[in-house]
Amino acid sequence: MAEQSHGIGGLKYDKSKRSWPGEVNIFFALIIIILIFEALGQMLPYMRGQSMLFDFNTNRDGTILNIARIKIIILQVAIIGIIALGVTQVIISGGIDLSSGPLVGATAMIVMSFAQTELVNGQLNPKAVFGAWAFDLPVLIPVIVGLCFGAFIGAINGSLIAFTGIPPFIATLGMFLICRGIAQWWTRGQPVSFPTESYAWLGSGMMPVFWFLLLAFLFHFVLKFTVYGKHTYAIGSNEAAARMSGINVRRHKVMVYMIASMLAAFAAIILSSKNLTAQTGMGQFYELFAIAMAVIGGVSLTGGRGSIIGTVLGAMVFGVIQSGFTYIKLDAFYQLMAMGAIIISAVVLDQWRQKSAAAKA
Amino acid sequence: MKKLLLVSGLAALMGTSAMAETIGATIARFDDNFLTVMRNGMTEHAASLDGVDLQVEDATDDVAKQLDQINNFIASGVDAIIVNAVDTSATQAMTQAAESAGVPLVYVNREPANVDTLPENQAFVASNEIESGTLKAFQICRNLRGEGKAGGAKGYVLMGQLSNQAAVQRTKDVHDVVGMDMCNFMEIIDEQTAEWSRDKAQDLMTNWLSSGEEFDFVLANNDEMAIGAIQAMKASGIDMAAVQVGGVDATQDALVAMQSGDLDVTVFQDAHGQGAGSVDAALALARGEELDQKVYIPFKLVTPDNVADFLSRN
Repeated sequence: MAEQSHGIGGLKYDKSKRSWPGEVNIFFALIIIILIFEALGQMLPYMRGQSMLFDFNTNRDGTILNIARIKIIILQVAIIGIIALGVTQVIISGGIDLSSGPLVGATAMIVMSFAQTELVNGQLNPKAVFGAWAFDLPVLIPVIVGLCFGAFIGAINGSLIAFTGIPPFIATLGMFLICRGIAQWWTRGQPVSFPTESYAWLGSGMMPVFWFLLLAFLFHFVLKFTVYGKHTYAIGSNEAAARMSGINVRRHKVMVYMIASMLAAFAAIILSSKNLTAQTGMGQFYELFAIAMAVIGGVSLTGGRGSIIGTVLGAMVFGVIQSGFTYIKLDAFYQLMAMGAIIISAVVLDQWRQKSAAAKA
Repeated sequence: MKKLLLVSGLAALMGTSAMAETIGATIARFDDNFLTVMRNGMTEHAASLDGVDLQVEDATDDVAKQLDQINNFIASGVDAIIVNAVDTSATQAMTQAAESAGVPLVYVNREPANVDTLPENQAFVASNEIESGTLKAFQICRNLRGEGKAGGAKGYVLMGQLSNQAAVQRTKDVHDVVGMDMCNFMEIIDEQTAEWSRDKAQDLMTNWLSSGEEFDFVLANNDEMAIGAIQAMKASGIDMAAVQVGGVDATQDALVAMQSGDLDVTVFQDAHGQGAGSVDAALALARGEELDQKVYIPFKLVTPDNVADFLSRN
């Protein structure tokens, strides 16, 4: 038996039974993946000893770090990461949201129509959706339109799940199709391009990363320290118990789905701003990657367990893998296979860890 | 009363459909820019003709779904079918389904694998795919020579979806051009797929840029990816005058990028003309008129010199 010192009442505190927070494991996994890529960079002959995260030879950025690569690692997952923040809350509350990817497509199309500029290279915008009144609107208008649309879709998702009792998988699968349809119907498939400068600023450069980290910080706080957060975990752990202890489970669920869809809508705003265009096919597979980020980050699909920090680290794992594959010049088909294998093994490892933790307790 | 309304409504419905010539069309995917311009060409042209009903369906890049749609068209008794094939190697089954039902069929934009053995009442309307990639890569080669880089130039290739024949063909065209004596000074550092998408191309290009390797050209299988690469290069402060960038499609966005001096070469494929041409071909076959089985609508090279001519075309 281990040393037992502290305790409240009759309960003894046993240090040997205390396990690391799950986030630490994901962080180590991230380090290991980086080391694997660095090792490959040294071993593969055609890489000529290049390093992934360091840059010893050219000193481009004035440091030994390859700043450009570190930036793209985070930048390329920031937008799906924003969606993953919402998906994390939905999964913790015991649900699932499959509609976020198509919602990104639909929102991008709608929002971009309110963010168009009148003159492109001195000519009338060739992609104009509405008449003259919709040109050069203040940037707040498209943003508000987008967030309202997200909230509206989320309210439908949440109400369907809370009040009709259909499984979240089915409700959001239906919404998946509806949103993809809306995206294509909005302009009959035509892309919407050429936004105003202030709209383009929202997602320019490293802005997506700024929004991602800001929102991650915000929702970390919300989940950890507010009543909303506590109730989300409570409902996901045991819905019946949560209801009996006086939580308005239905209203809370609607709120969770609304927040998730608003985050997806915000991701759509950033995505369309980053690309200076909105296309009906945008956001393809985003819902699955967002779920995968959360799951790699230790969010349990059975609900009640997970954290925002974990999801951010899960997103980082994705970013490192994506950049790592391009860095070692791996062909696309191998990339897909490896990505799939990594997702599966991450969850398997997590399951083992949980089981051994349960056995210890 | 209700019943009477229903019956008369039904009769009216059947009346119109019996009068009009109906065409069923299945498009590989609705959310593709180029195919959307082509689809609009079809619907606008059909709407301008008297007594032609066109029904367009989305095959969502699913071969099996597309065959189902064709069989559904046959079952509902259309006069002709237009197919924009999801997979050009899976067209034999479609040809057979239409042939055994005696319904004329027109392939549009994507060349079916069985194009040389099509039965009498089937045809193919498109541009000759080999032209596009070759025109673009050769012009970039000439531009590089013009800049005095004939001693050696390095660059990247952005590929479309690997399951797509156009992506495979356009990439092969690039290799063929680079293999020519005149252009073998061009060296490809790496080629990767960005799945036709601007966003993926932006991330891919940024990843390439992070390696710090010098390069002189970027060849993309389509304009969207070329624009994505341009956005990434501009964000990293690269002088666009120093890099030759080529795409294919001549979309509005691409022409604007060319006017701003970012995109150097693109290739115009007359999407609207192909769509309208496929409707004409389908009607001709349905009426039993004479028709060439291969109707080619030519590609055109677009450079800053002639960009103004194309601004209102696609």
